[in-house]
Amino acid sequence: MPNLYDNGDQQPPRSGLILLQALILGLFCLFAIRLWYLQIHRGEEYALKAKENQLRQEPVFSPRGLIRDRNGDLLAVNEPAYALGLVREDCPDVDATLRQVSLWTGRNFDDLKRLYGKTRKRVKPFEPLILVPDLTFGQVAIIDANRFRWPGLEIQVRPRRKYRYGKLLAHVLGYVAEADESDLEQRKELDLGDYVGKQGLELVLEDRMRGVKGLTQFEVDVNGRRLKERVLKHPRAGHEISLSIDLELQQLAMDWLDEEAGAAVVMDAETGQIWALATAPSYDSNDFSSGLTPDQWALLRDDPLHPMQNRVIQSVYPPGSVFKHVVAGAGLHYGAIDPRETVNCLGQIKLGRHVFRCWRKGGHGKVDLERALVESCDVYFYKAGKKLTVDRMSEFAKACGFGEPTGIILPHEKAGNIPTREWKRKRFGEPWQGGDNLNMAIGQGYTLVTPLQVARFFGAILNGGKLLKPLLLKDEKTVVQGDIPLTPEQIARLHEALVQTVEGDHGTCRRIRTKGVTVGGKTGTAQVVRLSDELKGLKDDEIPYRFRDHAWMAATAEKDGRKFAIAVLVEHGLHGGSGAGPVVKAIIDYLFTGKIRQKPEAQKAKARAVRQLSLKHARTNADAH
Amino acid sequence: MPIDRRLLFYINWPLLAVAVILFLLGVLNLYSASGSRLEEGMSIAPFFHKQLLWGLMGMFGMLVFMFFDYRHLKTLAWPLFWVTVALLLGVFVMGKTIYGARRWLDLGFMNFQPSELAKIAVLIVGARILSREREPLDFLRLGYTLGVGLILAAPIIRQPDLGSGLSVIMILGGMILYRGVTPRVFKTALFAIPCLLPLSWFFLHDYQKKRIMTFLDPTTDPLGAGYHIIQSEIAIGSGGFWGKGFLEGTQSQLRFLPERHTDFAVAVFGEEWGFVGTMVLLSLFCLFLYQMVVIARDARGLFGSYLAAGVFFYFFWQILINTGMVLGLMPVVGIPLPFISYGGSATLVNFCLVGLVLNVSMRRFLFKQ
Repeated sequence: MPNLYDNGDQQPPRSGLILLQALILGLFCLFAIRLWYLQIHRGEEYALKAKENQLRQEPVFSPRGLIRDRNGDLLAVNEPAYALGLVREDCPDVDATLRQVSLWTGRNFDDLKRLYGKTRKRVKPFEPLILVPDLTFGQVAIIDANRFRWPGLEIQVRPRRKYRYGKLLAHVLGYVAEADESDLEQRKELDLGDYVGKQGLELVLEDRMRGVKGLTQFEVDVNGRRLKERVLKHPRAGHEISLSIDLELQQLAMDWLDEEAGAAVVMDAETGQIWALATAPSYDSNDFSSGLTPDQWALLRDDPLHPMQNRVIQSVYPPGSVFKHVVAGAGLHYGAIDPRETVNCLGQIKLGRHVFRCWRKGGHGKVDLERALVESCDVYFYKAGKKLTVDRMSEFAKACGFGEPTGIILPHEKAGNIPTREWKRKRFGEPWQGGDNLNMAIGQGYTLVTPLQVARFFGAILNGGKLLKPLLLKDEKTVVQGDIPLTPEQIARLHEALVQTVEGDHGTCRRIRTKGVTVGGKTGTAQVVRLSDELKGLKDDEIPYRFRDHAWMAATAEKDGRKFAIAVLVEHGLHGGSGAGPVVKAIIDYLFTGKIRQKPEAQKAKARAVRQLSLKHARTNADAH
Repeated sequence: MPIDRRLLFYINWPLLAVAVILFLLGVLNLYSASGSRLEEGMSIAPFFHKQLLWGLMGMFGMLVFMFFDYRHLKTLAWPLFWVTVALLLGVFVMGKTIYGARRWLDLGFMNFQPSELAKIAVLIVGARILSREREPLDFLRLGYTLGVGLILAAPIIRQPDLGSGLSVIMILGGMILYRGVTPRVFKTALFAIPCLLPLSWFFLHDYQKKRIMTFLDPTTDPLGAGYHIIQSEIAIGSGGFWGKGFLEGTQSQLRFLPERHTDFAVAVFGEEWGFVGTMVLLSLFCLFLYQMVVIARDARGLFGSYLAAGVFFYFFWQILINTGMVLGLMPVVGIPLPFISYGGSATLVNFCLVGLVLNVSMRRFLFKQ
């Protein structure tokens, strides 16, 4: 056994003890400084990072305001749509994930990649970047079942706009679509993937209908599982909108115009409320809100009848004989016409070397103002026009609301055109000719109007001269924009002529007579081209579609204090009475009896055949390019 | 041998107290670190339970290591050394492979790591060798001492377990520095070690290289290896001055912090108790180490002094490396923090070694008169 106690008196190494103490001191100083640096100096910064780890915020979508018709029927609603989002921070391999998304949804991988690259700057790393805004139920099922294999993918439910009558009201409601770059620039409250109004009322009333998104905050653990959710801000739903449109009437008007190109507008002559605003052909608003495919877009773009055009406010036409009431009014106002005086219509009138013909070859014989209006005598108005000249006709037409937008809340309304001497000089570099006066007096030539302007003018004749702002919303206040400068007697005279056009034996609007209703009307024919000699002898059916004249009918209807003004235009409908009349008649029947008069199947079939032909023609042209 | 009542009187009570306080703080922290928030309330994993049991066993081991006279270890040093070498070689023949490393011996009722025993063996054998040295070590004696250490370290590094292997060398290295070397040896080492260190790069495994690279720039791999460092710094830093409060640490409760009950346990502590808490903990560790220095100074006989120095380095390296890693000052290596990190056998060994130095302290005045 060795001696247990050897070296017992030896002292431990002094240098070693100092070393150990120095090491302790060094350890203390090193860590104390580091702890001070992490916890005090950069403590707030790290606290923020811990918060970012822990707390996530997500928007709570606010439902867009519903849209109803005047009777409360729902026109636009919201339904859940399933969007696929990618949370960058949780996604270990973005490329592989995008490839998988492309497999699931059939979207092109490069497109997804481009979308990801373009939008990642706008989206925080812990927020979902919307890759696909609308998944089908099948896709939702597949993705949801496999999502655990693809961290970072998230299915988000958000409301999407649904138009219950997509094609019926496309031009009134417009549509919403995903916000693009410029929307995002303009409206800071929008996020990527949000829907925003792009057309129609959806565009104009965007701020009223969108509502305010809410915000919810929740704690997540490292696996992204949600714990402890808290609503920071409650979402506010968008305002509901009630239209003055009557869904059933709108449906009726659209049905009558279907497969043709035309416009029909029905306006309450006392309030200015629009009951129907129909334009054909139409498109489906839903196609836009769910993202238009290139094929769908090509179809719309190449359609020769331009379905996107709102013919009630965005198309301008020569008013034809409908304009004669304006000229008559001007004549009365300026004293250029004495209503009792007669003009002898011999079927034509000469001005210089030109001959101006009345539509009735044999002439009307002796006509006074009322008969000239009722039977639409051209010669009478040639003479009135010659007396009035462009200056006074323009001034009066402008006082009747022509030549400028009506102010309806829909976007992109056209003003039409009321020519003046100066205008012609500027436009064509030519002076105003005497013959121009005559053409203007029968509504041909340079005058261009929208159907809505026509309806408003005839409404003014019915209501005693008030030009009303056309209203689309039920709660909009009636606005009198001006008065036709005529005395009540003069207006009554014009109205009487309208009624006689319907009720009289020789009136051009006899087909819209309705028992128990005071109906007035005026037909018109807007020349598309001056018919060349080879076309002149042809019967109506033999004239090529695109050379046929447009058919106008403006009407007033009154019973028990309910007053309506109606304007219908059927493009290439040839004659006002036969082309536009049946539409007006169906509208009046509905308004006063509630009866739905269907368009005869044979007429529909004929219109459809013409339309298919022109579409085919357009498509072969497009393909050739 | 009857227990002398004076022995109890000479026990270094501060060391014992600090060790127990550190252990209890560790258990408390473990309670929080093993909790995680769920959708409904929170759940606590049973780690702190087990740690308490291991602690009780450790304290029993501590008593065992206090009762015999430590000077018997002088005689037992070399036999212990050879038994350890035999066990380490035994690992190669019939060791159990877990995670691609052959480190364990299956004892039937538990898995046993001979490398743990090697850390104890090296400080006993080191104390035996160094306490005989009359002069500071020259090249020859240094080579001999390091050679003995390498016999233990080499098989461990081959397992592979670089961490434990280096620990063995570092404990012995610390003891050699405590003993002192000749100025020539010191100067040569001062020059040679920085030159040789880069060479070691070529002996590292790829994953080890990657860890060092990530340490130098954690952002290169924010979701992989750098994640540990980033989340750990966020946890500690977000504690601020006063901390977030017990069980309120979001980094740990929401499990953003990895390895939060083992290697990164002190990050949980820093998050919940803040700068105030971490400074208290750091002070306790320094006091703990300082008491060992006191024991090494006052020990009767050089063997006891070197034993205390060995145990000092055993703890010192772990505290330095683990805390340095958690604070983002060192690469990520799997070394736990004594008393704070969860680990059964580590707790057992820690208490046993505390018992060993207490043994040295309580016998310091025996036979001195």
